[in-house]
Amino acid sequence: MNKVRLIIGLAIVTVAIVAASVLLYLLPLDVRDHSPVQPIAFSHKLHAGDNGIHCLFCHSYAAKSPAAGIPSMEECRACHLFISPNTPEIKKLMKYWEKREPIPWVKVYSLPDFVYFPHMMHVRAKLSCAACHGEVAAMERITRTASLKMGWCLNCHHQHKASIDCWTCHK
Amino acid sequence: MKRRTFLQLGTVIAAGAVLDGCRSKNEQLIPYLIPPDEGITPGKGTYYASSCNACPAGCGILVRVSEGRAKKIEGNPEHPINRGKLCARGQAVVQELYHPDRVPHPLKRNGPRGSGAFTRISWQEGIGLLTDRLKALQREQSTNGLALLTPHLRGTLAELTGRFMRTFGSTNHVSYELLTPDLLRIAARRSFGQPTLPYYDIAETRYLLSFGADFVDSHLSPVKYGSAFGEMRQGRDTVRGHFTYVGGRMSLTAASADRWMPAKPGSEGTLALGIARLILAESLYDSGALAMNGLEAKKLLAALDRYDLPRVAQLSGLPQGAIAEVAREFASTRPALALAGEMVAFQSNGPESVRAVHLLNLLVGSLNRPGGIYPDAGSPSGPENSFAELIALIETMRGGHVKVAMIHGDPLYSVPPATGFHDALAKVPFIVSFSSLLDDTALHADLVLPDHAALESWGDVIPVAGTREPLVGLMQPVVEPLFDTRQFPEVLLATAHELGGRMAAALPDESYLELLKGAVRKQAGFGAGVDFEAAWVDLLQHGGLFKTKSVQPTGYRWSSDAPPPLPEDPDFAGDQKTYPFHLIAYPATAFYDGRGAPYPWLQQLPDPMTTVVWGSWVEINPETAAEHGIGFGDLVEVSSPQGTLRLPAVVYPGIRPDMVAIPLGQGHRGMGRYAQGQGVNPLALVARQGTKQQPAWNATRVRITRISGNGELVTAGHPQGSLRSELVEI
Repeated sequence: MNKVRLIIGLAIVTVAIVAASVLLYLLPLDVRDHSPVQPIAFSHKLHAGDNGIHCLFCHSYAAKSPAAGIPSMEECRACHLFISPNTPEIKKLMKYWEKREPIPWVKVYSLPDFVYFPHMMHVRAKLSCAACHGEVAAMERITRTASLKMGWCLNCHHQHKASIDCWTCHK
Repeated sequence: MKRRTFLQLGTVIAAGAVLDGCRSKNEQLIPYLIPPDEGITPGKGTYYASSCNACPAGCGILVRVSEGRAKKIEGNPEHPINRGKLCARGQAVVQELYHPDRVPHPLKRNGPRGSGAFTRISWQEGIGLLTDRLKALQREQSTNGLALLTPHLRGTLAELTGRFMRTFGSTNHVSYELLTPDLLRIAARRSFGQPTLPYYDIAETRYLLSFGADFVDSHLSPVKYGSAFGEMRQGRDTVRGHFTYVGGRMSLTAASADRWMPAKPGSEGTLALGIARLILAESLYDSGALAMNGLEAKKLLAALDRYDLPRVAQLSGLPQGAIAEVAREFASTRPALALAGEMVAFQSNGPESVRAVHLLNLLVGSLNRPGGIYPDAGSPSGPENSFAELIALIETMRGGHVKVAMIHGDPLYSVPPATGFHDALAKVPFIVSFSSLLDDTALHADLVLPDHAALESWGDVIPVAGTREPLVGLMQPVVEPLFDTRQFPEVLLATAHELGGRMAAALPDESYLELLKGAVRKQAGFGAGVDFEAAWVDLLQHGGLFKTKSVQPTGYRWSSDAPPPLPEDPDFAGDQKTYPFHLIAYPATAFYDGRGAPYPWLQQLPDPMTTVVWGSWVEINPETAAEHGIGFGDLVEVSSPQGTLRLPAVVYPGIRPDMVAIPLGQGHRGMGRYAQGQGVNPLALVARQGTKQQPAWNATRVRITRISGNGELVTAGHPQGSLRSELVEI
């Protein structure tokens, strides 16, 4: 009797552990906000979409550095001294500038330290920015469209016949 | 509350905590306010060539800087000394820059001396305070009341400090270092008539015989000699060089040897002469070399008559057979090379013992030959007896004649208390320290004028003993200074300007950089057609001037009037009955003479032999430990005639049973949060030997007593298991 109970108990525990593992694997453990509220309601739709400003105009390091970079406060200000200076969001921007404080933008795309992702190589391979970042030109607020999981990277590398050696990204 | 409610609540809280741990917030992305105009590309590194000044070896380094911050240091592959390699101490230079306890601005003492109570002052006020004191000395016509104490400076900085002190009218300029190669220079002067340190061609030799020279750990130029040792062992297809080490303690260098000869401390010179006598007696010497140096084998053999095998065996504590075997191997393998290091030099008979080793090189014809020794071309001249100068300064200070002491470095830590330095310095009314961390000396200073970190400084670094070609390594600032600090030479120049008159006239340069450029220009010997600014940028890009026009020293030749070396019997402080053990204080691989202690990377670096991290220890032979009931990690009291220390024991088979060894470098009272209060300073035990004007830091006897079973020893490995064997067989 006791033996049967023990076996049933063990079976239940095993099933529970397996189920928990499967659940952990399937659950979206990345709980970062995919479309966080930014300190200033910067509209990519307005800048990149309606006005047709090229991505590299502001993210100017993407072509020559692993990091794409974001425009400095000085650059934002230089345009908006003349372009719609009286809208509430631009006034917010100018207030930051007057206080000599950088805008604490919320990062939407980030990779862990053990992944080496160079922007410049992807730009050089003539990959469009939208391939990873989605239709940014249509987004009022930036929203992450890609999962950024390893499988997602690998799929793309497979499709484009890029190297899938571990050492390519993990170095 | 019911038990059930409590459990339910507890579960809810635990679940909440777990879920909260899962939630990771998005990171922030902070833009530049105004992007720097130096063409910085975020995410991309820029590499700057500079030179390491963490020890006198002067290796070349490349510093990776990204977004204006120094990130990583590696060796400069173009530099002739280290060829792209770098030791742990060099890698840790980056931690000097970001040390959280750096002195960020000038400080003035506002409490009792040594209390560490300081107030912030401006640079103008700081230099003003110093100049007021100096002007007072000039008014009272007692300019000799100024003393300057620095480590061994070379190149432009040495010239600047020299000119400053000379023009001011003071002779109290001492450049002192604990691990000074002075005694090696004295020995070279006596034997060869010139004070050049030897450059060892280890890479090309076939038989290496080291007398206490730990060239892999710390001796002269460890990166250079370490890689040359690798060349000697594996760099040639058919030859694997043989290496024999003589010395009572197994260092990392000794552990790399084929044969270890644990000779009694102080007997190394005698052993060398015993080997020399055997080579002479069996006619294994190079007769051409002897004739060229004006020596006669017969006369020499007669002079060394006392060093017959049985006597040498008895004095050194080694078996006769082993000595004869080494002598025959050494003489019959060509080229063969003998080195003498600090463990030998810092005995009471040091210089003569070092000379005995020189004689061995001469006997086998290894002077100025591939695989032998050459005179060092990097820094051919240097202080020959800075210790005597230090003792003289201590006397002057004790007499109350020194009114202002300017101190660079940390002598309160690195000068053994037995010299009386500590009491003498207390009599100086005004002490200025230029340390960038509040080290032991700066804590006792009245004024702290903090120096830049090495990565913020200009400078020239002339390597000691690692080169046959003269060369000048350049240091350049790779980052903007983090704090309101100023480089030491700039402060000297500013002080000279403030003093005016002759001082301002003698030191007219606006900045140290101008002075440096002038010196390098002279050294390089550029013709009239050369655009110096362009050439200067080129030199900075490569890390220095690797081809100078300076005259190369000709070579070693035995002086005609040099008598054969005859080391006296070693002399030890403390009588044998009360103090049965010899104390060896050796430079720790990570800390050198203590200047590596403030950096956590080096504190965490396990000692290569014992795997100890963060702290001091005393190495005791298993036999001795068993006799005294001491176990691994026990707290032990070590007493000498000079002082007493308590520290944990490491039962270590790689040491003679009549010896104990303590690494140097720990036991700072100040020097920031990582060094402060870690371990003990073995210099507190070291006695000053006799009245001789030579430091004999390894000539003290001690006794050991077990105190308790808890020494709080931290090790990275499990050396208890691996060190249980009885290695020493005597």
